[in-house]
Amino acid sequence: MIINDWLAAAGQHPEGGLRFVDRSEAATWLGWGEVRERALAVCGGLLSLGVRKGDRVALVFPTGIEFFEGFFGALLAGAVPVPLYPPVRLGRMNEYLRRTARMLERSGARLVLADSRVRRILGEAVAQARPDLGCRTIGDLPGSAVAPVPVEPSDLAVIQFSSGTTVDPKPVALSHRAIAAQVEILSGFWPETSGLRHSCVSWLPLYHDMGLIGCVFPALARDVTLTLLGPELFVARPALWLRALSRYRGTISPAPNFAYSLCVTRVSEQEMEGVDLSIWRTALTGAEPVAPSVLRAFRDRFARWGFRPEALTPVYGLSEAALAVTFSDLDRPFRGRRFDREALARDRAALEAPAGREIVSVGRPVPGFRLRIVDETERDLPEGQVGRVWAQGPSLMDGYLGDPEATVRALRGGWLDTGDLGFLHEGELYLTGRAKEVIILRGRNYAPEEIELAVEEIPGVRAGCAVAVSWLPEDAPGEVLALFVESSREATASEIEALPEACREAVLGATNLSPDQVIVLAPGTLPRTSSGKLRRGETLRLHLAGELTPPAPVTPLRLAGAMARSSQAYARMRWDRREE
Amino acid sequence: MSDEAILDGVAEVARAHLGWEDELTPEMRLVEDLRLDSIRLLTLAAEVENRFRVRLDELDEGSIETVGDLVAVVRRKLGGTE
Repeated sequence: MIINDWLAAAGQHPEGGLRFVDRSEAATWLGWGEVRERALAVCGGLLSLGVRKGDRVALVFPTGIEFFEGFFGALLAGAVPVPLYPPVRLGRMNEYLRRTARMLERSGARLVLADSRVRRILGEAVAQARPDLGCRTIGDLPGSAVAPVPVEPSDLAVIQFSSGTTVDPKPVALSHRAIAAQVEILSGFWPETSGLRHSCVSWLPLYHDMGLIGCVFPALARDVTLTLLGPELFVARPALWLRALSRYRGTISPAPNFAYSLCVTRVSEQEMEGVDLSIWRTALTGAEPVAPSVLRAFRDRFARWGFRPEALTPVYGLSEAALAVTFSDLDRPFRGRRFDREALARDRAALEAPAGREIVSVGRPVPGFRLRIVDETERDLPEGQVGRVWAQGPSLMDGYLGDPEATVRALRGGWLDTGDLGFLHEGELYLTGRAKEVIILRGRNYAPEEIELAVEEIPGVRAGCAVAVSWLPEDAPGEVLALFVESSREATASEIEALPEACREAVLGATNLSPDQVIVLAPGTLPRTSSGKLRRGETLRLHLAGELTPPAPVTPLRLAGAMARSSQAYARMRWDRREE
Repeated sequence: MSDEAILDGVAEVARAHLGWEDELTPEMRLVEDLRLDSIRLLTLAAEVENRFRVRLDELDEGSIETVGDLVAVVRRKLGGTE
C-alpha cells in the first residue's frame, strides 16, 4: 500500500475530507475528492517544472488547504515532500531563516513551495540553500494535466526532521511502506464498530509526526473527516481546541503534555459554555514526557464538561519509527506508579516505593513492535532495570537522509536505538529520561549545543564548559531546562554574580528558550569522558542524585531559581531545588 | 490613537496575559528584555490583535523585535501616522 492509493480511493464517502477552523471558529470543508483534484493540478505543475521522481520538495505553509495541495501534489509526482515550519510570529527572523536554510540543505530540496507571504520572508534562507528550482507559490506553478507518477512501497514518501535545530537537524526518511504500516497500526486501535464513526480533531502542526502521520493519514486512509486548527490558534486560545472537539464531535485528539497544561491555565469558564467533551474517547498524550500532575489537573478541571477520565491515553513514539511505538490501554485511566528515587538515579533499578517518584506508564508495544531494554554494552536487561529503549517494528525509518553515520548509530541490526531511557514493569514501558542528547521542550526538539554555544562568549564562562539538559521533574507540569556552566579561573566575583542572568539572556536571544535554572559551577566540576568530552547525561544524573557539588570554597554554588520570571510561567516547580 | 495610548494597551496585554508587572518602554526587546519564548510571542500577538481589533501581518511588516516595533505596526494597522 502507498499513500497515493489512499488518495485515489478516498472521496467515496460524502463525509470524508478536511475541515479547517479559523480564528473566528468559522469552518471550511473540502472533500478528499476535491483535495485530490487540486493535488493533481499541482502534480502536473511540478512535473512540467522538471521535478523528477525522488526529488525532495520542501513545503513551508501554515495549516491550510495549500499545504495539502503541495503535499499530495508532490507525492503524486513521485517526489518526496519535506514539511518545514512556517515563520514564527513576532521576534527575530534571522534565527528562523538560518534554521530553515540548514534544513533545506540537509534535505537536498530541489524546490521550495510556500505561500506568497512566507515566500517573501524566505528569500534569505532559500538564497543560502539554493534549491535549483527555486521557491514558488502554488499559483506560480505552470498549469498542465499530467498523469501521476507510479511509486513503489519501498520508495521514500516523506522527510521529517527529528530535531528542529541549526546544529544538527536530522532528516528522517520514511518509505511509503513504513507509513502504511504505521497507519494500519493506528487504525487498528479504533475499529469501526458499534456505530461509532471516529473522527479526529487536531491543532498539531503538519510538519510534526503526530500531526501528519497520526492525524492526516489515518483520516485519508479511512476516508473520514479530519478537523484542523492552526497551532498558532491553539496557543493563542486553547479553548478553540476543546470547542472544536465538542462541535465537530471529535472522538480522537492527540497533543503533547504542554497542551493539556495550557488548557488548565488558560481556558475560562465562559469559553466552555455549551461545550460537551463526553464524545472524546481518546485524548492521546505523547511527543514529550507525560506529567501525571498535568493529566490529573486536566481530568479534574474538565470533568464538569463531560471529559472522561479514561480518555487520557499516554503513548510513546518518535519520528524515526514513523510515530507510535507503545500505547497504553484505551478506555482505562492512565496508570502512574511510584519508584524509589535513589534506586532509579543511582542503581538504575525500578523498585516500587510508596513515597517514590511517580512515573506514568506509556503502555505496551503497539502491534508489530517489540522492545528491548539494553545496557551500554547492548546486553538485554531484565524487567525493572533502567536502560536504553530499543524498538523494532514495521514502520521504522530507512535512515537519516544523507547521513549514513547517524543512521548506523540509530539503526542497530534492525533495531532502532530510540535514545530514550526506561524500564519495563509488568510488561509496560516507563520512561525515565534520555540517553540521547536532545532537549525537548513543548514538543519541540533542540540540540543542547545550540544552548551551550550561546553562553560561550559571556565574560566569566569557562570556554567550552557549559552543559544544557532538560528533564521532567516530579510534580512539574512540563520539562525543565537547566544550564550548567563552569566559571573561568579568571572570573571576577562580580562576573560570577552576573552569570546566571547573562546566561539566561544569551540563551533566550539565541534560541527563544529560557532556562529554568542556571547553575554556576567551579572550574573542572562537570563530568567528562576520557577524551575530554562533556557528559550531559551524567551531569544530569549527578545533579539529580545530589552529587554535583562544587569544590568549595573557591566558588560558591549559585543556583538561580528563576521560576517566577522564566518563560515557563505555566511551570510549578516544587522539586529538587537546592539553594544556598 | 496615539503611540502612548497604544503602548498603554500593549502594557495592559502584557500584564494580563504575560504577567509583566514592570514598566514597558518602546526600546524593550521582546525576546531579550521581556523574555518571551515562542509560545508567549504567539500569545502576545494574539492578545494584541484582540485588544486593538487589528490583524498583525508581521510577515509583511518585517521583523517585529521591540515593543516600539509592535506599537508602530499597530498604529499603521489602525490607520494612524507618525
